[in-house]
Amino acid sequence: MQLFIEAIGFGIATGAVIALGAVGFSVQFGISNILNIAYGSLMTLAAYVGLVLINHGVNAWVALGLGAIAIGVASVVYHRLLLAPLVRRGTRAIAMVIVTVSAGIILQYVIVAIAGPDSQSYGQQSGKTFRVLGLILSAGQVAIIVLTAVLMFGLHLLLTRTTLGKAMRATSSNRTLARSCGIATDRISDVAWFVSGTLCGAAGVALAITTVSFDFSLGSLFLIPMIAAAVLGGIGQPYGAMVGGLVVGVSSELAAAYSNPNYKEVVAFAILIIMLLVRPRGLFGAAWSTRRLMEG
Amino acid sequence: MAWEYYLVVMLVYLGTDLLAVWGLNLEFGVAGVANLAYIVVVAAGAYTYAVLTLGPSSNLGGFQQYIGGFTLPWPLALLAGAAAGAVVGTIIGITGLKRLRQDYQAVAMLVVSLMVATVVSADVGLFNGSAGLALIPNPFSTLDPETARWAYVGLVAVCCVLGFFVLRRFTTGPLGRTLRAVRDDDVAASAMGKDVIRLRLLVQAVGGGMGGLSGALLAGFIGGWSPSAWVYIETLAFLSCVIVGGIGSDRGATLGTVIVAVLLLQGVQFLPQFPSSPGLSEDLGWIVLATATIVFIWLRPQGVLPERRPRYLGKAVSPPPG
Repeated sequence: MQLFIEAIGFGIATGAVIALGAVGFSVQFGISNILNIAYGSLMTLAAYVGLVLINHGVNAWVALGLGAIAIGVASVVYHRLLLAPLVRRGTRAIAMVIVTVSAGIILQYVIVAIAGPDSQSYGQQSGKTFRVLGLILSAGQVAIIVLTAVLMFGLHLLLTRTTLGKAMRATSSNRTLARSCGIATDRISDVAWFVSGTLCGAAGVALAITTVSFDFSLGSLFLIPMIAAAVLGGIGQPYGAMVGGLVVGVSSELAAAYSNPNYKEVVAFAILIIMLLVRPRGLFGAAWSTRRLMEG
Repeated sequence: MAWEYYLVVMLVYLGTDLLAVWGLNLEFGVAGVANLAYIVVVAAGAYTYAVLTLGPSSNLGGFQQYIGGFTLPWPLALLAGAAAGAVVGTIIGITGLKRLRQDYQAVAMLVVSLMVATVVSADVGLFNGSAGLALIPNPFSTLDPETARWAYVGLVAVCCVLGFFVLRRFTTGPLGRTLRAVRDDDVAASAMGKDVIRLRLLVQAVGGGMGGLSGALLAGFIGGWSPSAWVYIETLAFLSCVIVGGIGSDRGATLGTVIVAVLLLQGVQFLPQFPSSPGLSEDLGWIVLATATIVFIWLRPQGVLPERRPRYLGKAVSPPPG
């Protein structure tokens, strides 16, 4: 029973980080319809940006904020300079995936070339632990869970209470119609890539804060769990991705606790493949998202 | 002679790369299945060849564990490697049958690749886990080393010639045209009475067989095989050859392999080494390869030697959009 509770605690902490990333992935996909595999490498970049800032004496939480904004900007630039022109040229979806995989590889190996292949650490683990409902969590983990909750609530307010959010949702559900209603869809696209990048960056730095050490593979390890969470919740649907993140996080940690820890990632892989093959619209997906997932 | 050894290694790598790239081009370029798990069939061939030639795992004090453990003659083991590739390729192909968006299909395959690699690395009893298998017998180990090396080049060349004849059976003639029709519009093709599912699985089997043979030849030459030899980005290297050379064109895939696998990746090795970061040239290789892929998709998506479009009544058929 103790093992079970510990696994749940770890699962929620991991799930919070996965949810952050998955929501960012989902927002971006909903608006631009591009499956961005380089997302994982952007997350790695965030962890290294955070590392540079912390080594210069910046507080970890300030570094998280700055890292998030930096990745948000990088994400907009990446879309504007590489992906958007390719889409305009009529590049097919399959070629776009190959482009984003390649872009992710380039970014990952540029990071390796500059920072070296050794593992890095932010080197500040507060020993304080919290007991919440029988769950034992470190101070960092609690902070990440709170941060995720705050960011998710903020995103919820942005999407439902502001004109900008309304425009984003309109663009996501029907881009052509949104444009003919006078919404500047290209600018909305920029906003979506920025929000997505910011969440990705926050997730990357948060992950680096909670783990003992990390290296250049940080983002690529978390990419599949994030996509799994996004697909589980119905791709393009931020609320689904939040739930998906928790489900993927908790089930991976449970699998790690009760079987070979090396199989932890396999759970996320299996969830993703089964969801894609059996129910690609996600657990709570609407019919329109199914149509988008089919060919055409 | 150092340069002679280098030449032998290059020729063997070129031959095995060619087999794999032809197989992937048949699947991706001709039949339109974006198999990002292609490296798994190469690994299947390599592991099959290894466990069929290594003998019982208790050999040499049992320092490595693996299933099976036979001492078959090498030609049988090579064939078994190709067969294993065909079987694994067909199984992977089943994931691709669902009518998903093509980019989703690609990601599903990518995940298959990651998942198989994770399981094989974690399960030591299967193929010795992440340490991999070593001391895989070379077919010509009884000959003197220099003759054995050139004999291996000959073996790879024979396999390439045979592989090319098999490939042409599927990329040309009525079957080739049918596969291209399925790629361009599967609904129209099935309306014309073509069995789309059977054709796709057939292509997966043939492409997988070529990949498996490539892996078996590679394992026999190197003498070792481990999960680090078949990480998912290796598929991107093959894909890059296809894209640079010309998607759907056999000549293009061949030229692409020479350009990417030989000129680009070997060229990087000749850059000055920095003692501070010994792995830099390999990292740079991946950066160059991925950049070449993006540049070609951007500037020349049809590749250096594009697929020839069929002509009817003197008019070329317009290529599909994109």
